[in-house]
Amino acid sequence: MVVEIAGLKLKNPVMTASGTFGCGEEYAGYVDLNRLGGIVVKGLSLKPRLGNPPPRIMETAGGMLNAVGLQNIGVDAFIEEKLPFLRTYDVAVIANIYGESCAEYAQVARKLSAAPGVHALEVNVSCPNVKKGGLSFGADPKAAAEVTKRVKAETHLPVIVKLTPNVTDITVIARAVEEAGADAVSLINTLTGMSIDLKTRTPHLKNITGGLSGPAIKPVALRMVWQAAQKVTIPVIGMGGIMTAEDALEFMVAGAKAVQVGTANFINPLATSEIVQGMRQYVKHHKLKNITEIVGTLKV
Amino acid sequence: MAIMNKQITIGSVSGNDEIRPGYVLMTIHVHRSFPEPRPGQFVMIRIAGLQEPFLSRPLSIFSFSRGRSHGLVKLLYRVAGKGTQILAGLIRGSQVEIVGPLGKGYTVDPSRENRVLIAGGIGVAPLSLLAQHLCRLSGRGANPAVVYLGAKTADELVGLDQLHKYCNSIRVCTDDGSLGEKSLVTRTFQKDMKKHDPARTSIYACGPKPMLQSLAGILKDRYFCQVSLEERMACGVGACMGCAVAVRDENGDKTYRRVCADGPVFDLQKVIWE
Ligand SMILES: Cc1cc2nc3c(=O)[nH]c(=O)nc-3n(C[C@H](O)[C@H](O)[C@H](O)COP(=O)(O)OP(=O)(O)OC[C@H]3O[C@@H](n4cnc5c(N)ncnc54)[C@H](O)[C@@H]3O)c2cc1C
Ligand SMILES: Cc1cc2nc3c(=O)[nH]c(=O)nc-3n(C[C@H](O)[C@H](O)[C@H](O)COP(=O)(O)O)c2cc1C
Ligand code: FES
Repeated sequence: MVVEIAGLKLKNPVMTASGTFGCGEEYAGYVDLNRLGGIVVKGLSLKPRLGNPPPRIMETAGGMLNAVGLQNIGVDAFIEEKLPFLRTYDVAVIANIYGESCAEYAQVARKLSAAPGVHALEVNVSCPNVKKGGLSFGADPKAAAEVTKRVKAETHLPVIVKLTPNVTDITVIARAVEEAGADAVSLINTLTGMSIDLKTRTPHLKNITGGLSGPAIKPVALRMVWQAAQKVTIPVIGMGGIMTAEDALEFMVAGAKAVQVGTANFINPLATSEIVQGMRQYVKHHKLKNITEIVGTLKV
Repeated sequence: MAIMNKQITIGSVSGNDEIRPGYVLMTIHVHRSFPEPRPGQFVMIRIAGLQEPFLSRPLSIFSFSRGRSHGLVKLLYRVAGKGTQILAGLIRGSQVEIVGPLGKGYTVDPSRENRVLIAGGIGVAPLSLLAQHLCRLSGRGANPAVVYLGAKTADELVGLDQLHKYCNSIRVCTDDGSLGEKSLVTRTFQKDMKKHDPARTSIYACGPKPMLQSLAGILKDRYFCQVSLEERMACGVGACMGCAVAVRDENGDKTYRRVCADGPVFDLQKVIWE
């Protein structure tokens, strides 16, 4: 079940999605972290972030909206307080990073690259670019490429760029970051949505809009992974609504070399390990040498 | 490395009775190894094998007992919307998935032996388990707590029978006077406040936000008071940051804490009412 992403060896293709698994501790009592392909930690910024005022989440049909606003303890506290725990495990640790400017992304990347126990960086470009008036870095191929270059220049670690689906053509962004030196892309982040309380005619989220995740977004995610996988040569990591091993395998057939599991953890704390188990059974049942044999085997 | 000692419990519903219109008492058989819940802790519950509603629902543990062959978890809930409606429809023998007990419960300081419980409406749920616990702590004949129990109407006043098992000093009030005194529960407590010496008293409260906020105004910072808060939850275990509540940190600065993992019990003075 071993897969390699840009030189990073994963025991299996199943990782946790950023923001849905804390820094591992919260689920370590339920899941043997050593059995996971990788742990992508909560998005880290240079300084601690307070996050958005509540209510931050709302259930929707087959999913949920969140407007957490990237509340996190900041990169320094992560290195000091959270990494030592993760180092006690034999699992790939991928730090998800976030900045409000290219310089901030670069600084966070530099700090994490010097910290023992971080195996790769995942760059979240879905956040607003302050200089560009709040438009997300990930919505502009030039800005996304610029962030990628700056991060690459600061680190020896594999760099995964995490793409936002809130664009007209995700393959344009995927191509741009590949050209800028990204070692892999991961997609999709949440789809911007909203939910209204008819009784009070107010939005359910204090932030008005939020990011949609869960099974509701799976068809969109599959489509985007399939499109992106055809346009780039670097590995694609797929996610969006994966609840079961079958879901994960569909992403791999669409072209994903590895997958991430997010919202499913909330519904079932054992989701990741059950998905690994299910994949093992699939490999056995179909007499595959390695799970990677099914990557990009969609028949059209 | 952390010890892998947490699991998802499959429970079997052995009772799910509407004790009052819109209020349901669910009894769940669980394995006898189910961890002993601390008062104030809750569970995330969902119907086994079903993805509707999508997210699990947080419910306080109302009562717990352990027999020779199994444990019994009781939940007392108000039908508030879709999720609790679906739960209310479960018949005997239905299977539910439970994650928990979760969260930090109330802290009981043995030196403050005058304990006051203030419950508004369904807020009685976590306080009942606390009453059970305090009853066990205090010896025979001693009064484990003074209870102030309030609700909008007599129909919505639930949990009184259970509390009577543990406490004999219970002041009941309703907004419309249909049972007990016609008063808000915080007002009834306020009239009695002189009886409760701040140095010897711990107050535990749970209820709707306006009730807790008004209690904060009444108590100022003279009393030790812990309250149980509610927010919408996704994970229930501290991973998603979805259940944030604004509180003051050690330096008095505003910060967001997770109701599920840092609470649901908080010191009343630390809570910032937004
Ligand atoms: C730690 C904790 C313990 C709780 N214990 C109990 C209990 O013992 N008994 C009980 O009856 N209820 C309890 N609640 C509240 C209960 O979780 C909600 O009433 C329930 O989730 C509503 O779900 P629903 O689908 O029926 O309603 P929805 O259709 O989701 O919502 C109906 C209304 O309830 C509000 N609501 C939704 N979720 C929550 C929530 N998590 N907390 C507060 N309000 C919410 C909504 O904003 C809306 O106004 C607790 C909540 C928390 C956080
Ligand atoms: C509560 C929550 C918090 C999230 N936080 C982050 C984050 O900090 N950084 C990031 O890149 N993605 C974040 N995401 C997006 C997820 O990593 C993932 O891309 C998305 O939820 C789709 O996958 P899913 O449907 O399996 O959850 C978050 C998602 C949720 C639900
Ligand atoms: S519900 Fe996820 S952190 Fe509290």
